[in-house]
Amino acid sequence: MASSLGRFVARWYSVPLVLAIWEILARTGAISRRLMPSLVEIANAAWAALASGDLQFHASISLGRALTGYALAIVFGILLGVAMARSRLFDALFEPIFSFGYPVPKIALYPIFIFAFGFGSLSKVMMIFLECLYPITVNAFYGMRAVDRVHVWAARNMGATQRQIFWRVLLPGAAPSIFAGLRVALPISLIVVIITEMIGESRGLGYYISYVSASFEYATAFAGVAAVAVIGFTLDHVLVWLRNRLIFWERGAAFIGTN
Amino acid sequence: MSAAAFYSRARRTALGLALPLAALVAWEISARLGDVPSYLIAPSVILASTWDMATTGELWQHTSNSLVRALGGYAIGAAAGITMGLLAGIARPVERFYDPIVSLTYPVPKIVVLPILIAWLGSGDASKIAVVTAAVFYPTFINSLYGAKGVNRIYVWSARNMGARPIAVFLKVILPASLPQVLTGLRVGLALAFIVTVAAEMQNSRNGLGFLVMTAEDSMRFDLMYAAIIAAGVIGFAGDRLLVTLRRRALAGQAIGKEGAHG
Repeated sequence: MASSLGRFVARWYSVPLVLAIWEILARTGAISRRLMPSLVEIANAAWAALASGDLQFHASISLGRALTGYALAIVFGILLGVAMARSRLFDALFEPIFSFGYPVPKIALYPIFIFAFGFGSLSKVMMIFLECLYPITVNAFYGMRAVDRVHVWAARNMGATQRQIFWRVLLPGAAPSIFAGLRVALPISLIVVIITEMIGESRGLGYYISYVSASFEYATAFAGVAAVAVIGFTLDHVLVWLRNRLIFWERGAAFIGTN
Repeated sequence: MSAAAFYSRARRTALGLALPLAALVAWEISARLGDVPSYLIAPSVILASTWDMATTGELWQHTSNSLVRALGGYAIGAAAGITMGLLAGIARPVERFYDPIVSLTYPVPKIVVLPILIAWLGSGDASKIAVVTAAVFYPTFINSLYGAKGVNRIYVWSARNMGARPIAVFLKVILPASLPQVLTGLRVGLALAFIVTVAAEMQNSRNGLGFLVMTAEDSMRFDLMYAAIIAAGVIGFAGDRLLVTLRRRALAGQAIGKEGAHG
């Protein structure tokens, strides 16, 4: 018991340490109290924002946009990636678009999206879709490509049909890579929804945070940041949980995906 | 190259150009016929006005503003990320300190603190460089950490056995051996640096490419808007190519015997 407590402390001590340093800096006024509110003030502001329903309202709008764009990108990204891996024609047609377009900051296209899809949710969802499409497609493509040929031959040898090979060999083989792409795309969907809401909107967490910090309510702004942090952290953990359930044969992968 | 290989490559290139070219031609024709919304000005007009702005130096001014922010934040964030990541990879206490903080904050979009950073540091370069630094730190840290952790222990033991000092072990064994991963982190970080810079400028700035895109949009100067978009795309793409080339050079000896050394 004592040693498990010790291990728990050893594992997590740095988080309370950083928070304590924050609190000391805020309380002693080393950094202006207005700019750096204490944790208690932030908690109070968060409570007030929750009680008034503001936080839930804006969070649900941001979450809805992010997840809609993300879901669209999953469907089209996996389809495209699979098509590119299975067909030479698709590969030749789309590969340059993805390899050339990957490092380009596509967020700069947002004004065009506003003209095309309006100021509301649609332009934001489409922007999220476009940004998430890249990592998902590329990872699905490489995952399908990297499936061991021997597995395909073995399945064929044992009389599997094309359809069976796809569902039972290729897709499970590509699944770890597909999930790696989903994991990269998830924070991107949050980044894009926050940015686009900061640029021009009257709803959503991005708008809320920039609005309250423009009105000098920094404690509330930090409460908004904390809400985004909770959402990002929760979604990421749900994804990892799903991954470990679906790809149970490859458990124990690093907590933070690096590829 | 045999004739057959040449033809198959030429065919591939032609197919790869097919979709973008078809889209451009369709855009050009419909813009000339005037049956598209006004923000879709003809590609030929965009190209001409971009060229004009590039030669008068107007575009370069905003591009250099953006480059200072992106590369400034990139340099600080990557230096911190690589140093801390490699240290965490070889020293358990350092890893223990960072691991919970990084795993808690990693899925949080760093751009979210921009309004607060603007309140702290003003709406000039400093707040943008700070948010780029934060965004670049994570991928460089995580990749360096895993790079250093993945170094074959036997190399370290051998070097020690032959009398290498800790600093020599770090510089001559751990750093080169984790270089592929470090460079992967640098590549992810560079793309992020450009995205975050442009996004931060779109939100709140008085110059830079992101600012140019937004003001041009507000004043319906679509030629300006496209010129800024093209410039942002070009620097993002060129930066990535540069890193890939550097990576190939730096890893020239390490790719031997490994298939599929992707760049």
